[in-house]
Amino acid sequence: MKMEGKELRIKTFLSHNTRRIMTYLIAAFLLILLGYYLPRVLPGDYVTAMYSQSQAIITEEEEAWLKAEYADKESFCEYIIALVTLDWGYSLVFSEPVSDLIFSALPWTLFLLGSAHLLAMIIGFIAGVEAAWRRGPLEKLSVGLMTFLEGAPEIATGILLLFIFALVLGWFPAAGGETAYAGYGMFRWGLDVLYHTILPFITLFFAYLPGNFLLARGSMIVILKSPFLKTAYAKGLPSLRVRYGHGARNALLPVVTRFGLRFSFMLTGALVVETIFSYPGLGTLLFKSIALRDLPLIQAIVLFSSLLVLTVNIALEICYRFLDPRVRNET
Amino acid sequence: MIKDTRKILLFLISFLFLLISCLPFHSAWGGEELRIADSAGDWGYPNPFRHYPRGPGYVRMSFIFDTLIWKNNNGFIPALAESWNYNPSDMTFTFHLNSNAKWHDGKPVTGEDVAFTVEYFRTHPYRFIKIADIEDVQPEDGNTVVFRLSTPYAPFLSIIGASMPILPKHIWETVEKPEVYDDPKAFVGSGPYLFGDFDKTKGTYLYRAFVDYYLGCPKVDRLIYIRSANPLLSLTSGEADLANIRPEMAKHLAKKGMTVISDEHGWVKKLMVNHKKWPLSETRFRKALAYAINQSEIIEKSHRGFASPASYGLLSVDHEMYNPAVPTYPYNPAKSIQLLESLGFTKNQSGMFQKNGKELKLELLCSTITAAGENVADRDGEVIKNQLQHIGIEIELIHMERTTADVHIKKWDFDLALSGHGGITGDPVIMNQMILSSYGGGSVNSSRYDENRQLNEILEKSVSEMDHKKRTELVYEAQMIYATELPSIALYYPHAFSAYNPEKSVHWFYTKGGMATGIPISQNKTALIR
Repeated sequence: MKMEGKELRIKTFLSHNTRRIMTYLIAAFLLILLGYYLPRVLPGDYVTAMYSQSQAIITEEEEAWLKAEYADKESFCEYIIALVTLDWGYSLVFSEPVSDLIFSALPWTLFLLGSAHLLAMIIGFIAGVEAAWRRGPLEKLSVGLMTFLEGAPEIATGILLLFIFALVLGWFPAAGGETAYAGYGMFRWGLDVLYHTILPFITLFFAYLPGNFLLARGSMIVILKSPFLKTAYAKGLPSLRVRYGHGARNALLPVVTRFGLRFSFMLTGALVVETIFSYPGLGTLLFKSIALRDLPLIQAIVLFSSLLVLTVNIALEICYRFLDPRVRNET
Repeated sequence: MIKDTRKILLFLISFLFLLISCLPFHSAWGGEELRIADSAGDWGYPNPFRHYPRGPGYVRMSFIFDTLIWKNNNGFIPALAESWNYNPSDMTFTFHLNSNAKWHDGKPVTGEDVAFTVEYFRTHPYRFIKIADIEDVQPEDGNTVVFRLSTPYAPFLSIIGASMPILPKHIWETVEKPEVYDDPKAFVGSGPYLFGDFDKTKGTYLYRAFVDYYLGCPKVDRLIYIRSANPLLSLTSGEADLANIRPEMAKHLAKKGMTVISDEHGWVKKLMVNHKKWPLSETRFRKALAYAINQSEIIEKSHRGFASPASYGLLSVDHEMYNPAVPTYPYNPAKSIQLLESLGFTKNQSGMFQKNGKELKLELLCSTITAAGENVADRDGEVIKNQLQHIGIEIELIHMERTTADVHIKKWDFDLALSGHGGITGDPVIMNQMILSSYGGGSVNSSRYDENRQLNEILEKSVSEMDHKKRTELVYEAQMIYATELPSIALYYPHAFSAYNPEKSVHWFYTKGGMATGIPISQNKTALIR
């Protein structure tokens, strides 16, 4: 009887996860299909983008020759085979493997956006929980301030910060991720990168913070009315443990979901900030590749980003199991 | 807990102060260096096969690769060739090379290299130059090289002499695919700077001075390009020493001690007209458009006065072959209406023109345009729309992404489109390229107007006319016909400014006629030579 129950559990687990794995595989295939066809729907081609307004004025014959040279000859099957063999293609613009280009831009994006996201989530969450817990004039003021910040577009915050701290005060640099070719040692270089990251980081931090704060506060207010918190109090648990161990833990789920969704978008979503601060990153690379119709590079970035969405979804599911016993028991 | 939080806060604040006390961050490099800010940053690898076919890409390459001759404000000056002459009897250009000229790897530059370069570009074309009219190139002795032409080619000195980068034969003779050749030797040239680095992600370039440069050691040891969307901030904060600036910044930067320089009228904004489609195929209709468009109003409203009305004859008013007698179309709505009525258009009840019950309605395409390496959003469309609607032509303004708009224009799938290009102070062959499809059919800025046989013949003749005076007469005539036919309508020349830090002792300038094929950028390498 005991054996039968265990077998049943294993069978249920397998059937449930097989379904899930199949769903993810189908989603991955659809994303690859999308990554292949979507860039091809764009009007124009590399030669038109590069030469139409070029200083090097070409004839119709030269244009036809170039178009034949750079024509897209890769079928979907060939594309799949190339992907499987980890050959993501060569950029038409740079004549270099697109994977090299993506991985040279990725660390900058991850550093800037990852740190802004993470810190905005942690601080937003704690501030949201504390605001819901304390209630009062400070909470009202912070809600007002956060609502205002939520409405302020990144471009406005970025330009304002540039104006005050780069132009008027001259405290921070106006452009770049580092002082180019400065020849610093590791420590000084690290400081230099931090120094260049401060303004774009603050811009993004203030763009992401309000959402996390308002979400955590809203969730916490609902949770604070739950009977299980009264039980925790009745048991004589310290206030901090009731607030975070029992209350905030339940308010964390929507914040983590938000973080996951935003994280997948972040790879290419920082174009505005990257542009204002001339900061290196994937957003700029994608923008450039689209403007120049660099098909292999566009499709690689699109594929990379969409596969990341999928990976983050899987990671979120795993996170849920840790955070919420109900999800764990379901599976 | 509270004590811990305070400690962390104290640590963070101390760290911030430590950070700020280290400011500003300057390069640890001890020698002389100069930084140039550019909003786009990346213009490809600086060699002839890998730079973008745009002016800024060429300029970055030009620091490493020298040409036979070059340009400054006085016209052509010696570069690899100390002297040159043309012999009309056998259609040959002879160049005497500077015997001190060396490649960056120490080998001498010879006539063999020059002859090799031309042959190499025949199989691996370099789109900035046209070598079809070169019959052959013979190195006569180590330092003399003779170009024999198959037909007289008047733009030779500009398009080949001052634009063709000379390649080292000993490096490129074994290279079959130059577009993907990424060996460090691909950047061995004979120019004043050695290639240091190009970072695609950051859009930065590093050049190091070539101390054995045959025209003298460069003034600064390191030349660095940085990407900056805010040249004003980069200049005032000292991050950059030279940048293109918006005209409205000029006064502010001059007050801050920067030297501000302005270009001649080397770039024109124009209204492309689909002359293959009725009624735009009618010269009278195009003239009606020209009379309805108020150049001064566009300049005032879109550019706060920082532009000058353009000549309808295409060549810049600053060009030595500019014809001041070309027809003009001063703003005259009444004349415009009169011309439209002569084509059978009448006004309907709402005051808009119609013919045979069909309202006269045109589409106007607008997109971002790159001028001297800077992306410029279009603001003229709205003004032109209002001006044309004012006389009774219904206009649908369509804003498009640049390449999408280019595709429409290339396919003749448009009525009117805003466009612009440089080169109008360079060699007058720009007229052939911007008018005839056989010269510039691949360019979206070319009118591709082949209908007027007389204009075709004059333009063809002007390219093969080696006598300067006779060529000027032909170019004068071509401008007259062009301004009469109006295959496209020239609007204005935007004022172009750069600002630089004079403390670096490098005095930048805009090249008369533009660098090479007419590039209107202030980064001429001769400013860096002692």
